[in-house]
Amino acid sequence: MATHHTSDYQTGELKSRDLSYPSGGGISYKEVNEDVVRTMTQTGKWYYLALAGAVSGFLAFWILPWAYQIYKGQGVSGLNTPDFWGIYLTNFVFWIGISHSGTLLSAILFITKTPWRRSIYRSAEAMTFFSVATAAVFIFVHMGRPWNFYWTMPYPNQRQLWLNFQSPLMFDVFAISTYATSSMIFLYFGSIPDLAAVRDRVTGWRKQVYSALALGWRGTDSEWHWLFKAYTFFAVFIIPLAVSVHSIVSWDFALSKVPGLAKTIFAPYFVVGAIYSGSAGIVTLMVIFRKAMKIEKYITLNHFDKLGMLLLVMSLLWSYINVVEVFTGWYANTSAENETLIYRMFTTPYAYMFWLMIFTNTILPLLFIFKKCRTSILACVVVSLGINVGMWLERYLILTTSLPRKFLPYMWHDYIPSWVEISMTLGSFCFFAMLFLLFVKLWPSVSIYEVKEDIGIPMRKGGGHH
Amino acid sequence: MKRRDFLKFIGIGGVGAGAGFVLGKVSKPPGAKLIPYLIPPEDIVPGVATWYASACTQCGAGCGTLVRVMEGRAKKIEGNPAHPVNRGGLCAMGQSSVQALYNPDRITKPLKRKGPRGSGDYTEITWDEALKTLAENLTELKSKGNSDKLHLLTSPLSGTLDKLVREFVSAFGSTNYSHYGLFQRKNLAFANLSAMGTASVPHYDIENTKYLLSFGADFSSTWVSPVNYSNGYGKMRQGAGERGKLVQVEPRLSLTGANADEWVPAKPGTEALLALAIANTIVEKGLAKDGGAWRGVLSRYKAKDVASICDVSVERIEAIAVEFAHTRPSLAIAGDSVSSYENGIAGAIAVNILNQVAGNIGVTVIPNGDDLGGGRRVDFSKKISTLIAAANADKVKALIVYGANPVFTTPKAAKLEDALSKVPFIASFSSFMDETTAQADLILPAHTSLEDWGDDFPDPGVGAPVASIIQPAVGPVFETKSLGDIFIELAKAVGGNAAGKITAPNFAEYLKSSWKELYSRNREMAAGTLGFEDFWNKTLQNGGWWGPPRKRTATVSARASEHLTGGPARFEGEEGQYPFYLIPYAQTAYMDGRGANLPWLQELPDPMTSVVWGTWVEINPKTAEKLGLKEGDMVNVESPFGKISAPVYLYPGIRPDTVAVPIGQGHSHYGRYAKGRGANPIEILPYNEDPRSGEAALNSTRVRITRGGSGERMVKMEGSTKELGRGIVQTVSTSEFKRMKKEGV
Amino acid sequence: MSGFFERIAGKLKSYREPGYYTKLDHKWTMVIDLDKCNGCEACVVSCYAENNLPVVGKEECEKSRAFSWLRIERYVEGEYPDVKVKFIPVMCQHCMKAPCETGCPVYATYHNQDGLNVQVYNRCVGTFTCATYCTYDVRRFNWFTYKWPKPLEAQLNPDVSVREMGVMEKCTFCIQRIRAAKDKAKDEGKDVQDGDIKPACSQSCPTGAIYFGDLQDPNSVVAKLAKSPRRYRLLEELNADPSVIYLKRVMGDGNSSHE
Repeated sequence: MATHHTSDYQTGELKSRDLSYPSGGGISYKEVNEDVVRTMTQTGKWYYLALAGAVSGFLAFWILPWAYQIYKGQGVSGLNTPDFWGIYLTNFVFWIGISHSGTLLSAILFITKTPWRRSIYRSAEAMTFFSVATAAVFIFVHMGRPWNFYWTMPYPNQRQLWLNFQSPLMFDVFAISTYATSSMIFLYFGSIPDLAAVRDRVTGWRKQVYSALALGWRGTDSEWHWLFKAYTFFAVFIIPLAVSVHSIVSWDFALSKVPGLAKTIFAPYFVVGAIYSGSAGIVTLMVIFRKAMKIEKYITLNHFDKLGMLLLVMSLLWSYINVVEVFTGWYANTSAENETLIYRMFTTPYAYMFWLMIFTNTILPLLFIFKKCRTSILACVVVSLGINVGMWLERYLILTTSLPRKFLPYMWHDYIPSWVEISMTLGSFCFFAMLFLLFVKLWPSVSIYEVKEDIGIPMRKGGGHH
Repeated sequence: MKRRDFLKFIGIGGVGAGAGFVLGKVSKPPGAKLIPYLIPPEDIVPGVATWYASACTQCGAGCGTLVRVMEGRAKKIEGNPAHPVNRGGLCAMGQSSVQALYNPDRITKPLKRKGPRGSGDYTEITWDEALKTLAENLTELKSKGNSDKLHLLTSPLSGTLDKLVREFVSAFGSTNYSHYGLFQRKNLAFANLSAMGTASVPHYDIENTKYLLSFGADFSSTWVSPVNYSNGYGKMRQGAGERGKLVQVEPRLSLTGANADEWVPAKPGTEALLALAIANTIVEKGLAKDGGAWRGVLSRYKAKDVASICDVSVERIEAIAVEFAHTRPSLAIAGDSVSSYENGIAGAIAVNILNQVAGNIGVTVIPNGDDLGGGRRVDFSKKISTLIAAANADKVKALIVYGANPVFTTPKAAKLEDALSKVPFIASFSSFMDETTAQADLILPAHTSLEDWGDDFPDPGVGAPVASIIQPAVGPVFETKSLGDIFIELAKAVGGNAAGKITAPNFAEYLKSSWKELYSRNREMAAGTLGFEDFWNKTLQNGGWWGPPRKRTATVSARASEHLTGGPARFEGEEGQYPFYLIPYAQTAYMDGRGANLPWLQELPDPMTSVVWGTWVEINPKTAEKLGLKEGDMVNVESPFGKISAPVYLYPGIRPDTVAVPIGQGHSHYGRYAKGRGANPIEILPYNEDPRSGEAALNSTRVRITRGGSGERMVKMEGSTKELGRGIVQTVSTSEFKRMKKEGV
Repeated sequence: MSGFFERIAGKLKSYREPGYYTKLDHKWTMVIDLDKCNGCEACVVSCYAENNLPVVGKEECEKSRAFSWLRIERYVEGEYPDVKVKFIPVMCQHCMKAPCETGCPVYATYHNQDGLNVQVYNRCVGTFTCATYCTYDVRRFNWFTYKWPKPLEAQLNPDVSVREMGVMEKCTFCIQRIRAAKDKAKDEGKDVQDGDIKPACSQSCPTGAIYFGDLQDPNSVVAKLAKSPRRYRLLEELNADPSVIYLKRVMGDGNSSHE
């Protein structure tokens, strides 16, 4: 970012290299600053209503049922023998998936120097962090004794207890905590200059908070230099990490022997699915975000066009892997695999879910072949929501159609989620919304300095450069 | 004797004889003492189990048990490996007797009725008051010269307790002491009486049988002595010798049928004819041991005539006959589906004849001799119908019930409850509020068998004299009394003859003196002991006494053939209106309903359907398809005598013209686990019994099935019954197995 | 100092000896003769009694949450009148290459020196991984803290802990009996003899279909039966190396009297 623009400063050339802002000089630096800071300081009653709704939804739909579950026991869920993993783990994988595109996309696009990344990456990264947090809570929700969660951490103790590093769940603990930490740092590092910008524009307690958060950023050349180094390091680090996280999540399932779960294709399948669902999540979120925050000028149709292409590619990839998954099951032609496939594809109610998933994830995104659709907000909303529903169903189907059809038919038993589980699923969306609303209010949700880089220097009408 | 068993006996030996005497003192309810082990009781070491040898009384089989007791509490019941009846095994019901002991729904104190009969409104009274009330009632009866109007109805008691009750009743001046149970197998006893001269079930040597032809005898789960037979079955299949074959004749595949090599689904009511046709074929083909005597009688039952009636092909009848006669030794047994008709005796006798012509009597059928004189007495004149008739004729002024639950186990058509309402005084000694006890005016709860003394002389025997001892393994959990003590104290309170005759201070003493008498009569018992005390101690340690096997034989007398039948059994309900035969059967866990109050048994999946906590109706899938029924649909099972509703279970092991309903659920009382659960098929049965024996004819009605009715959902534990070629239960063919054995691989 | 290193080196060498990791004190093995088993379920109740298994009631049974560590599976083939029914008791197979053991993140389930797959209730955090990985569906979860109505709790076996809500459990091969027998043998200065240990199911089995013993002892009954040509193991193709050996049921052909 900073480096390749220095030439602009030096040559003083007025180049509008980026199509993101066709107007080229339509926006001034000051406007950028004000627009972004406005999202933080001037929030209307709708914001507070939304926040209140999210918070109360989070409390009512998630915390209360969870407290009830902890008090009474895991039995209040619909889990049973042998379907020990139901909606809870579905949600876990779903939210981990959602998390995948934010940081990963940001990092990839950063390294490939894709300019249209700039106005969306901040909120995408936030989305990553929040959905990882949501997913992590689901790990505790699904545990039989969540109050002993710290037993899964390697901590020194007098009983000389140690962890089983063979366990894919152990991999998970490390992968997810590393991922959450790294994506948080990545988000934070990228925000430092903007936090400084905010610091300069606010007063009162906010000033103190943002001063602390800005780490004394003054915008010197060496500061930009070091920030860029650190940011690049994390961008490079986070790409394999993100890939490994979802591979590891897939191993939770793939390392079992359960028909329908024990698939070698699972790691790429989950990574692709994660990026796919995450990108769709970004699209959905951007639509809401730009509308609610009135920042259409920063997140333009051009962005949707690019994201649409990404979705189309991911859809094709996902569909290919899905076909491979079904095919290998069918080709194996063992009774266990066959029964699982029949159960998933041709037995009510799972058949409805399966074919709906195929429709939303394979057929519907084909609309994005057409630029008209890619640049239509309505089409983007429909397709991205469809993909999110489909991807949730995919995870649900993986778990709830494999475990009820294990090796011994005597123990086959269908899984029906209870109200507690459904409620907590809703609650998780409220939780996510709550976190995101707070983020928008408390954090510069569009990268101020990077958007400015796109605008170009000479447009400093109001002289608002810090 | 295995080392482990030996250790157990050492453990018991350390306690010494008559441990039960002191137990009452040491195992008070928890909390009785603040520092319970300050002066620890001699036989209680915390953390160390004590094993008491005893005998199981859950059904009539009389298996020997070892009761594991820790800190005065019974923990587990295991089969006594040294006991000849069960040889270490113990069935589901027997093992659940600890849950009967610690059942939360036991009657904890004597109760006196307050509200109207059946209202369940009782007040707790003291034992003194309870005994006084009972004695007053009986004395009043006596003073009015109505002694004979006292009726006693108990489960089939045996041994010393039976002797005591008999003494009491006769001293009181009554002749009306009868045993009652739904599955008393009186038809079998009657058939054996008329054929072989002993009114009991003989010892069937399944272990050494090479061809077992079972006519509906579900010996794996409930029939007569399941653990003993199962033990024999295991050895028959994989014992020292060649593998025996099992062929099961029954309209509904029972658990035993499921283990059979062949299933012959003969039409209900024709099993007797089939048995006779097989016997006839054996005689006709000249394969019989002594065919001559039977040729005449049997010639009426030609395979070709019988085949179509039984729905079994002539070829199959002949093939079974040939194999049965050729495979030595063979054995035919008469179970419930051959004898649960109005002429059920005919079926049992037919099987006796079949055994006779195949030469099995004395080989695999060993007639029972009551060597020790304590066996169960089967009195064919004492029937439930006589009791009902007497009550209706106001000839029952007082009724004492123990162990039997006739209100539950007699059909509604018998109108037993109406008859009971005419009895002015009913007392129950039951420890549970069952349907009959709920009709009682006075309840004196007796101990369960784990708290009580007693003995048992198993019938059927095991081809050897067996006397088991029942000793208290724990002190009383509640304020209950030993059944024997109740009678002894009652005798004293009533006075007169009874008090003069029964002088023992308590039942434990009575039992001991009774055994002393037995000991003095029996030379075998005396051998190797240093007098009675030594013998008594050893008996308590071992759980009883058993002698060497006796060889006995008999010849089926031609006289028996007078009970034979010419045609199939009669069914209530016209075929057009009621198209299905109804088979109410004894389920593994509940048997005649007695197991329904034990949570372990309620949650035990039925072996054939895996259904738990309820009743179901077994219907052939093809029949269900015709009726448009799916699994789990509620249906009404309607006979000419009533209707019950239960969910459908699609059961391929049943004839398409037959439906089956397990007995045992549908209790209106009997504790939290049993009450209001499922349906009781006995309710819709006709009030039929074999007039000669008094055994209920359970399978003697047809029913119709209609959709509808209300009831609980069916819950089954199985997901799928299809193995899907996954090789879960792998098999080898019989010929392959023979090859393996021959090659010694 | 050199002594220290030598000790370390010696230790390292011992790890390299063949069989160091696979050598067991005992290899407890169960042999179940399916030709003897008649499916009567006495073993199931025996297991409930011995191991303090709670009774969960109809509603919970409907959710397939019954606690039977040991169950009799029944499979039916064919249609009336040629119906074949087969039974198989299934409990924890104590796999030598147990899928559950690799799944647990906290070592709540592991393999002990007796070749047993053991479950440490206190260590369990309830991730369900072991149960989902189990190819035999034998693991049972404490969905609630179960209560025994008074005085039924007096029956509870003090040798076996009563489990609380949130932990996984399964058949232990009656490890408390194994322990007791080993302790006793140790007190007497002997080895455990064949036949000293009988798990509750094996003890109560009316047909004597369940055998138990040490497969490493060549003279034990199970070692002899394990050589039977009828031997097979459940879902052997999954390569979990289970310690329960089944003997095939004899059935089929030879129905000379069949029409």
